[in-house]
Amino acid sequence: MGGKTILAALLTVVLAGAAQAQSPRSAWDGVYTDAQAQRGAALYARHCVMCHRPGLGGDYETPPLTGVFLHAWAGADLATLFDKVAVTMPLSRPGTLSPAENADILALILQANGFPAGTAELSADPGPLKAIRLDVARPARGAR
Amino acid sequence: MAMDRRHLLKASLATGGLMGLGGCAAAPRGAGPGSAPVFRDSLLSLAPIRATTDRIFDLKVCLRPFRALGPRLDVEQIGGAMVVHNYGHGGSGWSLARGSANIAVQKAMSTSPARIAVIGCGIIGLTSAITAQRAGAQVTIYTRDLLPKTRSVRANGSWTPSSRIALTQAAGPAFGALWEQMARYSWKTYRSYLGLAGNPVAFCDQYALSDTPFQPAVHQPDPSVQGSYETTGMPQQNSEFGRYDDRIRDLMPRAETLPEGATPFPVKYVSRNSGMFFNFTELGQVLMREFYGAGGKVVIRQFHAPSELGGLPEKVVINCPGYAARDMWKDKAMIPVRGQTGWLIPQPEVNYGLSYNGTSVLSKSDGIMVLRAPGPVRGEMNGVGDSNEVASRSETESAVRVIERLFARFPKASA
Repeated sequence: MGGKTILAALLTVVLAGAAQAQSPRSAWDGVYTDAQAQRGAALYARHCVMCHRPGLGGDYETPPLTGVFLHAWAGADLATLFDKVAVTMPLSRPGTLSPAENADILALILQANGFPAGTAELSADPGPLKAIRLDVARPARGAR
Repeated sequence: MAMDRRHLLKASLATGGLMGLGGCAAAPRGAGPGSAPVFRDSLLSLAPIRATTDRIFDLKVCLRPFRALGPRLDVEQIGGAMVVHNYGHGGSGWSLARGSANIAVQKAMSTSPARIAVIGCGIIGLTSAITAQRAGAQVTIYTRDLLPKTRSVRANGSWTPSSRIALTQAAGPAFGALWEQMARYSWKTYRSYLGLAGNPVAFCDQYALSDTPFQPAVHQPDPSVQGSYETTGMPQQNSEFGRYDDRIRDLMPRAETLPEGATPFPVKYVSRNSGMFFNFTELGQVLMREFYGAGGKVVIRQFHAPSELGGLPEKVVINCPGYAARDMWKDKAMIPVRGQTGWLIPQPEVNYGLSYNGTSVLSKSDGIMVLRAPGPVRGEMNGVGDSNEVASRSETESAVRVIERLFARFPKASA
């Protein structure tokens, strides 16, 4: 295999990745995996559950991560939500979880809100996250 | 007639007053042996506090939105909107809300807007909204929660206008005058809420109790403490916090030392002061009623970035996010200061507050508030940098036990 071929193959992969990152997606498009959400659940049990409670329903003082949560975040992109989690949470030690851990927790939140899992994990990179919109209703084109 | 008043007070207390702790034992009524019916002044009618851990019916943790520089009140342009900031009131939000809102609204009204948006519905937001209405604007509050679910109602709710309001050096020498302006304006405004049904704003006597002589508060820097806010981004000792109370000494009563035996309390040293406090439920209702009555509207909405304020229909915005400003506005001067209150079932007959052995108690309409600074750090530094909002039941139980032990020292009612 010549160097040129390898370069071309690499270029194809990079371009495909970029195209995927830029094309707008919906949270309904299977943007995380079940395994990732499972990791998210383990992290949630360690870092989040004491305030947001089992089932992500929150309590009197702590906002829920389901239900009205979707109302609050309707139409936002996942990079904004990711940033909020990464910067402000956990409340007692904000910013202490790694990007990968925050992505896993975000996967759990998507799962808890009824968004379907897919075959590729949710990225922790702002680029791809920016392209995913938190649609409350499943878009017609995304119906599967 | 030369009567030994102290003796009479003591005799009366031994028979009535604070006995019957727990509400079960019936205290014998009537005068003690050899004494005529006695003059009962307010000292004598202090009802006992039923301080037992099973009566703890709520725990609240608040993160005081402490801002080293003092409250943020500047104006900035975001997109098409003029944003007037009004946040960062530390432990003085309820106290300074009126004066701070007045400053913010003066700035907001300078362009004569017909409509104003207020972001947030804590005590600062709601007060800003009402103040803007009184100035002639139509107001919409955009908020995640209404007042009863905000951090404001997890506060202590006493008139403490200089509690963790700024650091002396960071806020600079001009801040004292601004603080005084806010404090005086608030004080005047709250007078108009005294005496209303339900006592939204009230006064009561507050007793400081001690078994040992009171020690004067020390505000001198401790030379053994290394660093300061200027070098570390965090205050390092109590002496860094601004003290401005002397500016309003004319408004505040002085604490008076009472002689041993002059009160029912079984301690050697007692001092008494009068303090103003806020009953959250009633004051919150009064304020919400005024807001709606003046045509105010509430939109439940969360903002995810400051730029969103530029897209609001109102082109003048008063921004009152409280602690949330730390992240939303990337305000590094915002420092969380944790504080927890425990609440005992209300006892309307208890009409006073006390402090003893590091624990404070205040009887309010929605419960008897119990407060004890946890850990070894005392004074303003307690809770600084701690953003853990999970309540600790043991913290409140230890506070309640301090009060329980105090009341256990009162003479027992005979069977």
